[in-house]
Amino acid sequence: MPAKIKEQPPVVKRTIFSWVLPGNMKLQLTLVVIIVITVGARLLPLEMQKRIVNEAISLRKMDLLYLYCGLYLAAVIVASGLKFAITMLQTYIAEKTLANLRRDLYHHILTLPLSFFRRTQPGMVVSSLVTELTTTGNFVGMAIAVPLVNILTLVAFAAYLLWLNWLLALISLSIYPMVLFLVPFLQKRANRANKKRVNVSFEMSSKIAESITGIHEVHGNGSYHIESGKFNRMVNKIFRIRMVWTLYTQAIKVANNFFTSISPFLIFLLGGYLAMTGKLELGALVAFLSAQEKLYDPWKELIEFYQVYQDSSVRYRKTMKYFDFEPEFKLAPPDRARYELDGRLEVQDLSFVTDDGIRLIEDVNLTLKPGEHLALVGFSGSGKSTLAQCIGQLYKYSSGHVWLGEKEVKDLTKLDVVQNVGFVSQDPFIFDGTIEENMLYACQSIILNDEDARKYPPPTLDNIIEVLQQTGVFVDVLRFGLNAILNQNQHSDLLESLIRIRANFQKTYGEELADYVEFFREDEYLYHSSISENLIFGTPADAAFQDDNLLRNEYFLAFLTEADLTRPLLSMGAGLCRQTVDILGDLTPDRMFFEQSPLKMDELEDFKLLAERLKDAKLHQLGEEDRGMLLTLALRFTPGRHKMVAMPEMLKSLILEGRALFREKAGQERPGAVVAFHKDEYIFSQTILNNILFGKMKTGRAEAQDRIDRSINHLLVEEDMLEKIVKIGMQFQVGSKGDRLSGGQRQKLAIARVFLKAPKVMILDEATSALDNRSQARIQNQLDTRWKGRSTVIAVVHRLDITRNFDKIAVMKAGKIMEMGSYEELMERKGILYDLVAGRK
Amino acid sequence: MTSWQEENKECLACEFQENLDILRQISFFSSVPLERLKLFAYICTREKFKAGEYLFRRGDDDGQAFFIISGAVSLVFPDEQSEEVLRSFVAGDFIGGLSLLGNIRRIFSLRAENDLECLMLTREKFKTTMQQFPELLPKIVKALVENIGAWEERCFAGRTDDCSSCRNSLGVSLV
Repeated sequence: MPAKIKEQPPVVKRTIFSWVLPGNMKLQLTLVVIIVITVGARLLPLEMQKRIVNEAISLRKMDLLYLYCGLYLAAVIVASGLKFAITMLQTYIAEKTLANLRRDLYHHILTLPLSFFRRTQPGMVVSSLVTELTTTGNFVGMAIAVPLVNILTLVAFAAYLLWLNWLLALISLSIYPMVLFLVPFLQKRANRANKKRVNVSFEMSSKIAESITGIHEVHGNGSYHIESGKFNRMVNKIFRIRMVWTLYTQAIKVANNFFTSISPFLIFLLGGYLAMTGKLELGALVAFLSAQEKLYDPWKELIEFYQVYQDSSVRYRKTMKYFDFEPEFKLAPPDRARYELDGRLEVQDLSFVTDDGIRLIEDVNLTLKPGEHLALVGFSGSGKSTLAQCIGQLYKYSSGHVWLGEKEVKDLTKLDVVQNVGFVSQDPFIFDGTIEENMLYACQSIILNDEDARKYPPPTLDNIIEVLQQTGVFVDVLRFGLNAILNQNQHSDLLESLIRIRANFQKTYGEELADYVEFFREDEYLYHSSISENLIFGTPADAAFQDDNLLRNEYFLAFLTEADLTRPLLSMGAGLCRQTVDILGDLTPDRMFFEQSPLKMDELEDFKLLAERLKDAKLHQLGEEDRGMLLTLALRFTPGRHKMVAMPEMLKSLILEGRALFREKAGQERPGAVVAFHKDEYIFSQTILNNILFGKMKTGRAEAQDRIDRSINHLLVEEDMLEKIVKIGMQFQVGSKGDRLSGGQRQKLAIARVFLKAPKVMILDEATSALDNRSQARIQNQLDTRWKGRSTVIAVVHRLDITRNFDKIAVMKAGKIMEMGSYEELMERKGILYDLVAGRK
Repeated sequence: MTSWQEENKECLACEFQENLDILRQISFFSSVPLERLKLFAYICTREKFKAGEYLFRRGDDDGQAFFIISGAVSLVFPDEQSEEVLRSFVAGDFIGGLSLLGNIRRIFSLRAENDLECLMLTREKFKTTMQQFPELLPKIVKALVENIGAWEERCFAGRTDDCSSCRNSLGVSLV
């Protein structure tokens, strides 16, 4: 299979026809065969019709009637079945081609040089992969069967007509050359409009992607009208173009219909004359007319096919042309194994000039022995990032040389580079998925097949945990693990230890950390839990008692009334609704504002309307649904977090009373529905952390979290649970682009990713810029102690205090290295570095 | 303003209302209209620190601003061995407004002297709010500029002659 792929030219060079046969040969042939049978199956009823009348009825043969009727029915069934088969086959070919096309093009796009993406918006790529290519699939599905069958049918019918009456036939066929002349003429104009349409759609997708990506800037500047204005112009443009395009394509259909409808008119005129003058029998004229009618369908299908062909080839060519660039570097060496280089680096007379002729780096020379560490410093714009990126093959340098392990970087394939170089950019990209998947990303990308997998075994859990600790992500991952909610069926082996840890925590730290934790105490109101949690005070074993279902739970609603809570809660809900809408009502919703609100972001609009209704209605006048909304809000109310209303003392004692009543009542009437919080029971509705604390954190402050973490870590180690929790934490979903992580966490994760891969050369482009002092120092310390002598490091650094331990420092200015040497040497020389450190520049 | 208080019958003594009253005293927010100040009062959080805990440390870019509700804090400069106490802040002081506006690493550390309660606002929340109402920024910058001017005025008026080298570093208000 791989050998076959290699014969193909790059996807962007392929013609639209090259997709029709290769790989589809058998399918296309089957399709043709089925269509021919179908045509036969459609003719059979006509023949049966004739025979039923001529033979069965007129000869009064009952058995023949049965036979022919049976055949008729069979033919209809077969024809329908085959029609379905045809559609299926065509769709299959179309979709398969589309899938291949998308896969190949996407793969090609990913390999295009970075410079391509600087001028290309993601929206354009999306639009070409998602919309523009679909018609190509349709075309390929039709490409063999439709023209072949329809042309055959046409020829057959034309021959039949000629046989019936050559004069009439010639006249009725004379229409078609006219159509053949007119259609391409119109189609050419339609194509022109179509090309423009593709261009503008690309522009429009880019525009959309741009404003959505920059939505923060748009909100920040309130520039809605500017963005809408730009978009409106685009919409108007595409509107005009689409009008023209549609007019021409429809004109083709109309013209075609017009001419084909004219031919019966000619037949009537001439045929009528011939019949009147006795040169043609009336029966023959009728036969001719009905035969001629049969020409329309195949002809129409042919024209439609022609339009699909034109449309798809315009889109196809436009799309492919847009991406028709060579990747800057070969992906994998075709004729040798990948290099495994040592970390020696030599840069000679290196220059990089942009397409616009701007020199970003100029005549750079430097040498590093394997395992040496180099810091690149200088002002922004001095070319230090560009130099790092040229060494890492992210840019193709214009002149000079970079030798990595004595191989010219320009000539290395991507695989060679990926095998030997690890790169961490300033704003590293974290992919949607778990922490673990992101950690393994770099290690997995060097594994292309089974052999590689044997040669480069994936890191073990121990490796991963070690790296997590080195980079300081460990604490974060542990916290994710502690914040996970265990599934009742999984991890049942952990429960016992966790209960023990809970007891130890109470014993050892209970008093000391009481300021940070609100413990689940049965006789106390919990300010950091919701009202529903305060009432139920347990794990709902019966789903009907889970928060989402409480309002549909008749038993619970009756309980609220019995505990005299319904009206106070409604009133509390009304207060929450009014206040929150008053504070947040005129905002453009942003998740941040809803962290301290009982009302969720997507519910704001509904509650705004409810707040309006609350203005002129008393609580008892509200409808069932409105009351439900208010109760929901009240049951979520957590006074420790939601500050917009106060918690009345009265309600608090009612709720505590209610808690006792609920336990007693539900214990008798609904035994087992709720498992009450108990020191010896694991609480499945709460996070692991809350289970250990047997309570909830009162504050989200970093310092407090650190203290809790430290004490819990200690207990986890005692129970040999640390790694198990970290393992759970590694399953944390980081969100799209890692947006559930902080900037620092993203950077640490990216560094961990490279440490785990342990490449011979590491390029760190301001890789620690978002980290606090301590984390930065930790990673620098790791580099100095663990990686010196093991991996060559080129680090772009903006903070001078961490450069002290680098073997060499290169100070860059305007694309050139101004001075290079160890920290001590440069400080002694009192040159630029000295000035920079002294803060004089 | 009274209309707001009348309207606000849900909450005469709730934290939100108290926060709002506090923010109205802070000069940093003095030009922010009440309607918007409500939002800041809403996103602020109350934090408690115990004596000896640090609110931030030298070198951090924590992006937090504090209003001290009760207790006192010391501004300290950590030396190699010890810490030099520079000055203290007490209830009613607002610290760190500048770090809401942009990235800045702390030059000093801030340590709680006794049990402390304060109102805290983070840069992230501040920024998100400013994105919603960009028209607030000039008002806040105006208040800040006046503040810096007044600060140096005070500083200069209280100068003594024993520090001639300090003269060269005067002029924060000229930045």
